[in-house]
Amino acid sequence: MIVSKVMLAVGALVLVAVGTPHAQDRAPGNPRDVDPATVRAGQGLFRERCAECHGADAKGVPNHDLTRLWASGATDDRVFQTIRAGVPNTIMPSSSAPDVELSALVSYLRSLNDAAPAEAARGNAVNGERIFWSTCGSCHAVGIRGGHLGPDLSRVGLNHSREALMQLIRSPKASVAGPYQPVTLVTRDGQRIRGAKKSEDAFSIQIMDTHEQLQGYLKASLRDVIADTSSLMPAFGPDRLNDRDLDDLLQYLNTLRAAGPATGRGAGRGRAGQ
Amino acid sequence: MPISLRRIIGMAACLAVVGGALVVAQESVASGVTFQDLVQGYKNPARWLSFSGDYSGQRHSPLKQITPENARGLTAQWAFQTGVIPRRGFEGTPLVADGVMYLTGPFNNAWALDARTGRPFWRYQRQLPNDLTYGNISPVNRGFGLLGDRLFMLTLDAHLVSLNAKTGTVIWDSTLADYKIGYAATGAPLVVKDKVIIGISGGDFPTRGFIDAYDPKTGARIWRFYTVPGPGEAGSETWPAADVMARGGGATWVTGSYDPELNMVYWGTGNPNPLYYGDDRKGTNLYTASIVALDADTGTLKWTFQFSPHDTHDWDSTHVPVLADLTIAGQPRKVVMVANRNGFFYVFDRATGKLLVGKPFSDTTWARELGPDGHPIVLNDGSKGCLPDQWGSTNYMPPSFDPERRLFFVTVRETCAQYLPVKEEIVPGRISNSGTVRRDAEHSYGVLRAIDPTTVERRWEFKYPTPTMAGVMSTASGVVFAGDNEGNFIAFDGRTGKSVWSYSTGSPIWGAAPMTFMLDGRQHVIIGSGTTVTSFALPDTKK
Repeated sequence: MIVSKVMLAVGALVLVAVGTPHAQDRAPGNPRDVDPATVRAGQGLFRERCAECHGADAKGVPNHDLTRLWASGATDDRVFQTIRAGVPNTIMPSSSAPDVELSALVSYLRSLNDAAPAEAARGNAVNGERIFWSTCGSCHAVGIRGGHLGPDLSRVGLNHSREALMQLIRSPKASVAGPYQPVTLVTRDGQRIRGAKKSEDAFSIQIMDTHEQLQGYLKASLRDVIADTSSLMPAFGPDRLNDRDLDDLLQYLNTLRAAGPATGRGAGRGRAGQ
Repeated sequence: MPISLRRIIGMAACLAVVGGALVVAQESVASGVTFQDLVQGYKNPARWLSFSGDYSGQRHSPLKQITPENARGLTAQWAFQTGVIPRRGFEGTPLVADGVMYLTGPFNNAWALDARTGRPFWRYQRQLPNDLTYGNISPVNRGFGLLGDRLFMLTLDAHLVSLNAKTGTVIWDSTLADYKIGYAATGAPLVVKDKVIIGISGGDFPTRGFIDAYDPKTGARIWRFYTVPGPGEAGSETWPAADVMARGGGATWVTGSYDPELNMVYWGTGNPNPLYYGDDRKGTNLYTASIVALDADTGTLKWTFQFSPHDTHDWDSTHVPVLADLTIAGQPRKVVMVANRNGFFYVFDRATGKLLVGKPFSDTTWARELGPDGHPIVLNDGSKGCLPDQWGSTNYMPPSFDPERRLFFVTVRETCAQYLPVKEEIVPGRISNSGTVRRDAEHSYGVLRAIDPTTVERRWEFKYPTPTMAGVMSTASGVVFAGDNEGNFIAFDGRTGKSVWSYSTGSPIWGAAPMTFMLDGRQHVIIGSGTTVTSFALPDTKK
């Protein structure tokens, strides 16, 4: 019988996993003690099941750099549960793979994170929170407070590096995928309606307009559907947000790691994957 | 449902191993659907007896009740909930014979339904091992083969099973290959004369592809054609070493077509292995990413053509080959047509394999023309981005061909991607991507395109917001049925491409193609999507 290295590694983990309900308990406590074979098994599983979306280097999804998860405060258990449950309303599905396979994936991802350089913390989070609610909160939510036109930022500190967030604030790009693509609808009487596209098929389009109203239109009733190239979010250059305030804001955003509200994440796109 | 006396007499309850096949119960295959019925294809409008509906692979029904003018009146007649959540999609084409629909689904579930109501007669569920390899990644099935009163289904653990069409019980069960290495089987068998011809899946793992023929009575293997040659055999000069050939890929997971006059089977072959890193398999890697024409009696290779030499883009050439009679350059030709994952549309003389037409049907940047040898003149190896992604300009979803209007209807994927090959250890039982692909969602969309197969000119197209994996069926009345990734099942006017009706199924139509049949004087159209199979028809005017 041919037994792959994946199976061997998984088999070894089974011995560790018996009777323990949480991944954090299942995986060896010190990441540097993880069996290299387990990491290799996790790498194989990652390439097989994750790399198509997340990239072979685990940096494939814009602003979701998986090599920085632990540096951003993630834990084995949280990563394990995220893989298990998927991310609701996104294209990331839940997984029914055995626990030992998910643990191997966690070990592999953690090995990438161990190699990533740490970021120096700076800035005043208290002032950053004040800036957030005066500048960002009308469109972005944290917990139950804030707007919904842009992404919920309740957990933004978990999976966004400081550098990535800074770029998003200084020069936001129009999202080309996901539920925040900017779009302008032109009605037959010439009215222009701007919003974030939530869904679209050949015959209809569904948006949240800039007043946060959810609206659906039949394309036959529209004169035009324009995919905007500029983000709904304005650019916050140094003239609108000086470097010191930006540091403070980034420091505040880095503290946002709580579970977000169940609602307000918008509809996901159709599934990918062959 | 009563079983006839003849059938009962024909049954001989026994348990024996015949030629490697576990025979659970022996019974006659003389009753029911015959080879002549299969040759006649659509002649009986109440039947759809094979994956493509007939041997030509045209998926073009002669039915005319539903027209571009009245299609807006189509309504759902019934929905069958499989109760099985697919990991990819519901990809099967049901068969219909004498009011009974035979359906296969994910994880080797199968059903016989009352085609009038969608109510089940029986269900078969295979007990699959928990260490599937490719079958775990792609737990789909695309349909049954049918001969006599026997159904034939391929399985995710690389077996071929025969089921009693009346009961769903297993008659015999034959092992094709070792699933633990990476093999699986997902396609619909093609019944030709007294043989069940099948293809294998798992070319993304270190396996060696083949096409087999089995005895429908016993499950014993009659012949095997390896899609990658053995040492010293013709084609071995296109590989660097025997061990590389032994795991060279070339899976055969989409059902082929058959010409009864020439007695040739036409079948597409998949990507070489490993997928993206090709430096350790230098050469053109015959017969991967090719079409092969085989003698149906012996499996002997009659001719072959390789679409993507030394493929490093996962561009399987596993498409339904479409047979037709065309006049090309003033000369009548019996042809086989292929809209290929590499972005080119090909027409061959199907007796000789002579290439007659080869031009892009998509906006591929990989190559824009073929050289004198028929090989593409490659402009972009994939490192620069924007050529078809790894799922190609089209894929395994069946196209259709309307011979009267001389239009080939194909779901096209216009995509961009960058290929990043990496040398990796090749391990049996483990997928050997050897690299990855970065897709560019911003420049990707789907389109249903009608092309003239003699010139590859685009006659019309209908754009979908995202790349789409839905199959196509057309009818003699000029209706084209297709679908999209957003879940719409759509009827088009085949003359203009105008959508005349649509129904949101609620789940992407993924790999599945429509089929149609007459029942109680009404034309029914069937599509599978997500966990559901739905039947549509025009209103019943007799009520």
